[in-house]
Amino acid sequence: MTAPAIERTEASTVGAAPAAAAIGIQDLTVRYGSVVALEGLSLEVARGETVALLGPSGSGKSTALKAVAGFLRPASGRITLAGRDVTYEPPNKRGIGVVVQNYALFPHMRVADNVAFGLKARRVPRAEVTRRVTEALDMVGMASYARRYPRELSGGQQQRVAIARALAIRPPVLLLDEPLSALDATLRADLLGELQRLRADLPDVAIMYVTHDQTEALALADRIAVMRDARLVDLDAADRLYRRPPSEFTASFLGAANLLGARVLAACAAGDDAVEVAVGGLTVAADPTRAFAEGERALLVVRPHSLEVTAVDHPDTLSATLTATQWRGADYRLTCVLDGASGQSGQSGREIRIDVTDLAEVPALGERLGVALPAEPCVLVPAGVAG
Amino acid sequence: MTATLTESPIAAEPVPVPVRASKARGGASRALWVLPPLVLAAGFFLYPLALVVKQSFVDKNEHVGLDVWRDVLNSPSFGDALWNTVEIAVLSTLGCLVVGFFLALVLSFVPFPGARAVGRIVDTVLAFPSFLIALAFTFLYGTAGVVNAAADNLGLGEPLVGFLYSPWCVVLAEITFYTPFVMRPLLAAFALVPRDRLDVAASLGAGPLLVIRRVLLPEAWPALAAGGSLTLLLTLNEFGIVLFIGAKDVTTLPMLVHAKGAVTFDYPGACVVAVVEVALSLTLYAVYRFVFSRTGAGRAGLVA
Amino acid sequence: MLVWSRSGRAFVWALFALVFAPLVLAPLAILGIAAFAGDWNSVLPASWTSENIREATAGTNYDSLVVSIETALGASLIAIVVGTWAAIAARTAPRFVRRLTDAVFHLPVAVPSVVVGLGMLVAFSDGPILLNGTKWIVIAAHAVLVVTFAYSTVSAGLDRTDAAFADVAASLGASAARVLLRVRLPMLLPSITAAASLAIALSMGEVGATIMVYPAEWRTLPVSVFTLTDRGKVLLGSAVTVVLLVATLIVLLLVGLLKGRVEERKRRR
Repeated sequence: MTAPAIERTEASTVGAAPAAAAIGIQDLTVRYGSVVALEGLSLEVARGETVALLGPSGSGKSTALKAVAGFLRPASGRITLAGRDVTYEPPNKRGIGVVVQNYALFPHMRVADNVAFGLKARRVPRAEVTRRVTEALDMVGMASYARRYPRELSGGQQQRVAIARALAIRPPVLLLDEPLSALDATLRADLLGELQRLRADLPDVAIMYVTHDQTEALALADRIAVMRDARLVDLDAADRLYRRPPSEFTASFLGAANLLGARVLAACAAGDDAVEVAVGGLTVAADPTRAFAEGERALLVVRPHSLEVTAVDHPDTLSATLTATQWRGADYRLTCVLDGASGQSGQSGREIRIDVTDLAEVPALGERLGVALPAEPCVLVPAGVAG
Repeated sequence: MTATLTESPIAAEPVPVPVRASKARGGASRALWVLPPLVLAAGFFLYPLALVVKQSFVDKNEHVGLDVWRDVLNSPSFGDALWNTVEIAVLSTLGCLVVGFFLALVLSFVPFPGARAVGRIVDTVLAFPSFLIALAFTFLYGTAGVVNAAADNLGLGEPLVGFLYSPWCVVLAEITFYTPFVMRPLLAAFALVPRDRLDVAASLGAGPLLVIRRVLLPEAWPALAAGGSLTLLLTLNEFGIVLFIGAKDVTTLPMLVHAKGAVTFDYPGACVVAVVEVALSLTLYAVYRFVFSRTGAGRAGLVA
Repeated sequence: MLVWSRSGRAFVWALFALVFAPLVLAPLAILGIAAFAGDWNSVLPASWTSENIREATAGTNYDSLVVSIETALGASLIAIVVGTWAAIAARTAPRFVRRLTDAVFHLPVAVPSVVVGLGMLVAFSDGPILLNGTKWIVIAAHAVLVVTFAYSTVSAGLDRTDAAFADVAASLGASAARVLLRVRLPMLLPSITAAASLAIALSMGEVGATIMVYPAEWRTLPVSVFTLTDRGKVLLGSAVTVVLLVATLIVLLLVGLLKGRVEERKRRR
């Protein structure tokens, strides 16, 4: 699972000596009293790479970030920055830029003084401080707000200042802990675009981005580390993780896939292109993520937008009953219950979600529909325990 | 007793836009309900205070004039007492601010197992009578007290002979007793500081001292000002500690009021000292209220 | 979060212990020791006895204990009723009246207790209301001293409770008296009991005003402690102080129980 990581690291350090990763995490475990908040995490972030830690709350993603920043003392494991062991170094000696969800601006300082804080702590000469404060504020488009106090700014503006403050010290590593979560939807989209631009402006900075929002992870990250229950579940390049999720949890958390219960009809090996599975009454070809035995129960990953609605009893479709429709502007989301099908996992039971962009006529609740699977094979993941 | 007091005022409240006349009438009747407690306060607090002021201008022979004032203000004991009072209060307050800031800082930001219990002990001291500290000090620092005895056992002689009866002992006792008054508002202020802010400050390269100076102190300033001025007010008025330590040379204004009023029954003289003392503490109290309302407003501004 | 290294934290904690132990812990511990000390001429008492505690709860000291409790309860009751009344009434009064009430009820905290006592002596030694020489002058002085705390605690409680509850109750057709009894006062109960506890604790330990005004037959415990220590009976004085603290604690516990009772009855209704 770490193979792509190594590939990537090598690719981004062409020409350089076999450089150590910008952030190296080895077998990191963090405990709060008797509660294990993070267990055995190993992860590397290369220079210029963005890795998103994605997971629900309590998955350990923020804990990992805090340990890298030095805010938490790990129970065991090692943290290195460009090869230097910093596991027990205080945060003020690490030289990392940190941005947190609630901005954490100093309320009694003007914007410029907030941004200058790190530079002054490093005793940078005054003329240099002024120059770099302006530079950092320019990067986030906040230069004209230098004399304001944080309370005079909107949430989005405050977060821009917080980012400028972190960047002013020119850190080789930037840690972003849910930076957009405190903002409303419109601002979040704006700032996400801003972060993408910033990413391009900072080709050498390694970024660790903690979020529970798959959109942010997919938009920003080169690689995504999916976390759950204090552990790393899957780690891979963002697009690969989306297209071929290796586990049930990643499939549902990244892109909210439907998971249809399926039975493997013939054994297959890990590298095989396709395997026949039975879903409902149909036999379809699936794309296996690992070896499966004949007759094994597995789950077919089907994205809501790849399903199509047909007339009921149309050949090669699953029949279902409509239980809810939700118009979402760009499309409709239909929620259906599959007939007679059983063995679907997930809390929704036999429920599937279908996103359709054009509907000639909105079907009535309780109406029976045919649901057509996509033409190309869907990904098959093992049922049961994730990871 | 209180059941009868809200006949109409509250009922009038929810009506959003009452007619002007009825609003005025409502205001008047609402004002009336405050009268009974106000009359009691006037009778048992303001009236006696006014009499104290009046009495200070009437000497024992019923002559009205400034004679008593002249006598008292010119006496050396008054000058000493005034100086002692101010000196002890200022030193104690400074001590409380330093000690209270340090203790609150540790309890809030470098917590240890049992920090909560310590916080509760500090809270308990607030409800104790102040003379208790003075009494304890006589055992600790008296000529035959624990510290002297321990030092003597170690062959150090008795280093604290006479300490108990010096102003420094009063200052130390007042610091012990009044430090919680500074800690309380500080702990409340520190509880409102998001931990993220300290973390981020550290990640930007600031060491603990810089974080305290540039991040925490500005946040603590209103609480320090409020706690400090309250402490100054209470130490100016402190009586129990000075009385119980009973140092002959350490006379303060409240002690002088007691001596003249309850020991020698020189009411006019006691009244003069009392007026000076009240004027002193009321001035300070006005400052305290001003600071307090400012910080209250400041906090509201921060939220908005 | 402030001090990151282990050695740094250990240093800070050591410094904390160094300040906290002699400043706060030692005085409290020493009183407990003194209360049970028989003979004390060295670092620790040479012998232990419960004789002092026995004497502290008997005879004139017992009388003083009763006097202290009666005074504290009486003064606190008066202060709570007057303070709560003033706080609630001031809330709905016009702005000017409210400010005046605020000022008057906050003022006693700024006036030294001895001066409050002196004022009582000057005002009530003759004239229409003669209190000097009776227990009422002590109770009145205590009530004046603690009413500030009752007023400000209840005011703070009113600030916290949402006026909307009373408005909603009134809009549902409840009479003003009913709103007061069934909505406002019950919601203020925590503030009122907190105020009562504080008032009792302060009154039990009051010296300044009491020593100015107390008549011979109404001597509170703190005054007894003073006369004992003044005569050199410091060990007995400590024992009486410990009795005072324990008595205060018991009274406060009873107030807490009473509050629990009231709340339970409220729930059952």
